[in-house]
Amino acid sequence: MSDETHVLELLPAYALDCLDEAETRLVAEHLTGCHLCRTELRAYQEVTGQLAFVVPEALPAPGLRARLQERIQSLNSTRPQSTRPQSARQPLFGRLKPVGTIIGLVLIIVLLASNILLWQRLNNLEVLAGPLGMRAIALQNTDAAPQASGFVIISADGQNGVLVVDELPSLEADREYQLWLVRGAQSTSGAVFSVDESGYRGMRIEAPESLFAYSAVRVTIEPMGGSAQPAGEEVLNGSLFNP
Amino acid sequence: MKELKPDDASLIALIAKAQTDALNRLYDRYNRLVFSVALAMLGDHAVAEEVTLDVFVQVWQRASTYRPEQAKVRTWLIAITRHHAIDILRMQKSRVEENIVNWDRVSLHNEPPAHGLEENVQISLQRKHVREALADLPADQREALVLAYFRGYTQSQIAEALKQPLGTIKTRIRLAMQKLKKLLEED
Repeated sequence: MSDETHVLELLPAYALDCLDEAETRLVAEHLTGCHLCRTELRAYQEVTGQLAFVVPEALPAPGLRARLQERIQSLNSTRPQSTRPQSARQPLFGRLKPVGTIIGLVLIIVLLASNILLWQRLNNLEVLAGPLGMRAIALQNTDAAPQASGFVIISADGQNGVLVVDELPSLEADREYQLWLVRGAQSTSGAVFSVDESGYRGMRIEAPESLFAYSAVRVTIEPMGGSAQPAGEEVLNGSLFNP
Repeated sequence: MKELKPDDASLIALIAKAQTDALNRLYDRYNRLVFSVALAMLGDHAVAEEVTLDVFVQVWQRASTYRPEQAKVRTWLIAITRHHAIDILRMQKSRVEENIVNWDRVSLHNEPPAHGLEENVQISLQRKHVREALADLPADQREALVLAYFRGYTQSQIAEALKQPLGTIKTRIRLAMQKLKKLLEED
């Protein structure tokens, strides 16, 4: 691969998270398939980490440690953590890939969606821990789709995810829904989709990076085929970080 | 016999097994750094503390995704902290700008010792090295870097703030990071 096809000149700004959205998307897409650029990026990320050494040292309030423990206890009471070693955790997605990714995804979507919708009714939680370390994040609807519900389900390693939606309104023929992965001011398209008569659809999220790299998701109404940037009305949203 | 301290990656492995003691130890080791970076970027103690909490909660939730071959634990923590702070900065319409750090202030600042003797020596040396590398940058490159690093500005926003062409800012950022990378790799 020639240097022209790499994104080496953009990597310093990417490591600082100061690229504009289109360039961020370009770099993220390139990184998925380029070992050389990923290696170079790690070196710039290390620079970014080292710059923290010269920040004036400040002390948080002494009570912050206790607040962290309380928050972890709260998480544990609603999201039991696995005590198995990481090596024993083979992601469900990974195990299904060899026998057919599409079939596996459909099964996962159906089984998890039914379980998670039940869990939500029982617990009204926004983030749930599923089997093998998977996470499910309940999405919030907006006034544009007050009956709609949705979940983002993320594999334990963040490399795979699915979106399940229900009761989204039917759209005009020239419109589709689009899922956005949000990081800072930047939004990356994760899926473009339509729904069936009942407003239901489940699909894989196409992310250039680990899904843990994003802070939130949004679903908007966009022209057929999707938009480069979110411009239409928002129907669902959710935070990927905050339980 | 002196107790052997587990290294950072070992602590993360224990956190992935839901060992809360390991999270507490990691917190004790890095809470000042995480909080300091958040405060330097956000300029508000309360918000910086919330970010600090969120960072360690994320570590608790995402420990199994950490890959030691990809980044040091410290680098990983700083990346999570900065992403979180940048999210907040880009959502905020107003900020407490006077509390936000720049490297001119940093270079004059002397921190009190906060760690063990051996660790203090190591951190002091590292700080000195990074400060020297920063001091080696042309002022205009350092200025662009400050706006990106501490204020979460995109290159377009930096160009607008400094009333410079976007291409000029891109060049300054790239050259600054390339030079820092070279200088810090020589360490």
